Amino acid sequence: MNKRRLLATFAPILLLVLCSGVALVAQTAPKPTKQAAAKAAQAAKAAKPTQPGDEYPRPSKPAKQYTIGVLLPQLSNPHFVGQAYGYINEAEQLGARVILQDAGGYQYIEKQMSQMEDLIASKVDAIDLVATNGSGTIPAVEMAVRHGIPVINCNVMTDSKKVVARIRSDDQVAGRMEADFMAKALNGKGSVVMLRGPAGTSWAQIRGDSFKRRMAEIAPGVKIVGEQYSQSTPVEGLRLMEDFMQTYPRIDGVYNGADMTEIGASGAIKAAGKAGKIVVTTVDFQPESEKFMRDGVLSAAVVQQSVVIGRWCIRATVNYLEKRPVPPELWTPLLLITKDNLDKIDFRGVRAPAGWKPPSR
Amino acid sequence: MSEVGLEEIEKKVTGESVPSQKAGFLSRIPWSSIGMPAVLILLCIGFGSINPNFWSMMNLTNVSRQISILALISIGQTFAILSGGIDLSVGSLLALVSVVTAQQMLNYGLWAGIAAGILVGAFAGLINGVLIAKARLPAFIATLAMLITARGVALTLSGGLPIDGLPSSFMFLGAGKIGPIPVPAVIAAVALLFANAILKRTRFGRYVYAMGSNEEAAMLSGISVVKNKIMVYVVSGTCAGIAGVVLTSRVISGQPTLGEVQELYAIAAVVIGGGKITGGVGGIWQTLMGVMILGVLANGLNLIQVSSYVQNIVIGVIIVLAVYVDLARERRR
Repeated sequence: MNKRRLLATFAPILLLVLCSGVALVAQTAPKPTKQAAAKAAQAAKAAKPTQPGDEYPRPSKPAKQYTIGVLLPQLSNPHFVGQAYGYINEAEQLGARVILQDAGGYQYIEKQMSQMEDLIASKVDAIDLVATNGSGTIPAVEMAVRHGIPVINCNVMTDSKKVVARIRSDDQVAGRMEADFMAKALNGKGSVVMLRGPAGTSWAQIRGDSFKRRMAEIAPGVKIVGEQYSQSTPVEGLRLMEDFMQTYPRIDGVYNGADMTEIGASGAIKAAGKAGKIVVTTVDFQPESEKFMRDGVLSAAVVQQSVVIGRWCIRATVNYLEKRPVPPELWTPLLLITKDNLDKIDFRGVRAPAGWKPPSR
Repeated sequence: MSEVGLEEIEKKVTGESVPSQKAGFLSRIPWSSIGMPAVLILLCIGFGSINPNFWSMMNLTNVSRQISILALISIGQTFAILSGGIDLSVGSLLALVSVVTAQQMLNYGLWAGIAAGILVGAFAGLINGVLIAKARLPAFIATLAMLITARGVALTLSGGLPIDGLPSSFMFLGAGKIGPIPVPAVIAAVALLFANAILKRTRFGRYVYAMGSNEEAAMLSGISVVKNKIMVYVVSGTCAGIAGVVLTSRVISGQPTLGEVQELYAIAAVVIGGGKITGGVGGIWQTLMGVMILGVLANGLNLIQVSSYVQNIVIGVIIVLAVYVDLARERRR
């Protein structure tokens, strides 16, 4: 009896202690030594002009310590882990603090909106937004702007016209590069299926449309027999590719909007014993994609410089906050990776250093 | 069956109004009217002391706006769970409603879109109700089927693509304010008051409790279980309809991917508030407490920069704790 009463009394208190405990740990978790080491290492590297992404140079360190909110759509995607590293590491160089939040998938538009509202309430100096959805993020951006917080749009675009700058790789070019490679590899004829990625995101739309347009121009003999939007996950890629192979007995090429579906599709192709018989192209190049390329399944990857995108966004944000001019559009360079040049690629601008993890708080 | 008899049933099952003489100090405190608000207030004090911005007018407005959607679908969920059932379909219904609202709005204008959205929600609820009450499918199965079907219909109608170009006047519903209070919060508050009145003051409301505490007894005492059960799911579908319209306005576009796993948060809100998953116990006030605890947690943890991964862990632990405290109290009665 007594025990139970005690428990019933203390359970709510326990609950509270637990919450504030988590909160406090999150608040105070110190990691100065690691940071200092990373800073020193980075400072040494920064001295060399060969660092990828120097085309939009790092501004001088501002006197003020800025707090920048960064909203990512899908941190389970290695591309965004690389980008997260870019934001955080660049912010360290510039004495800024990053509050990083992840929506957990392109479908969680409302969650990203709440995160945006919470950043506004936290009075961050600026928000770097990688949008979960084009039209769905308009009200959130306008709310930030109404409250005097500038929004810099990174990598995946919002349809709102009120952003300060857009920093991204050129998705038109990415789609075109995939088409050029595919057309050449297929000698101008064949059947191609498309795994486009999540509907409603700028990249899935622009890359896919650009691929089709370019293909119609340069290789009318190549027919797009099937195309599907899907969530950007390996499981969806696997499922779609298996179904495509059942539906169309002859597939010569597979277009992927991004590597998340590509690794699923590559898995399906390998399992069906068709490695090397189907030309597979994609955008982005996570370690799993690299394996599939070495195995001869993935033919070509147009690769965004994820780390560079993050760095440039922070640079542009700091420039804006320091009242320096910021170009409305900044394009980060793209790489084309095939088996031939795979071992010559400098991945410093693409991936986070091995073992680096986004902060878990 | 006389009204008096029903009242007795209700008292026996809800128990809240008749604590036994021997009950200890804690169970004499009405948990839902003092215990839960106390937890909520302590949470707020905790968050506020770490990040003072928590108490800013703006953040409180944010919280009220953020919890409105969950509050709306949780009202429906409360009816379903109180009646001894469950409604798993509400998450997908948000998506279906969103797509239908946006499409009809583009075709026939603002009001037609809003009406179509709410109607499609109510209609889906009607199908749920008929399947459960008439065809006698378990509520879990019928609404699970609707969860899957509604998502499929939403994706089919929209071709998987978002529908944009909605009139900017529609933004008022999701982003507007009446005085200092966000419109979604006003809508949710009105719906909560209305639903509370239905549950507490109408015959239908009593029947909901009666069906949930003992369906056979309810049937034997002359309640039309079929009719009232169907009504329960129509209410839930209508709530999803209203929530879907507000959500569509909040993202100012029709989105077939909205609302994933929201049904589970609605169930969580009901049980955290003290609703019994097997029915008969609970109410709108309790559910509101659950909704607010979930909402304040998500917002507060964001504000003190706890990652969304850790947030999920905290919410899971809290569901277990809340139900455990409830059970512990109940056992001692």
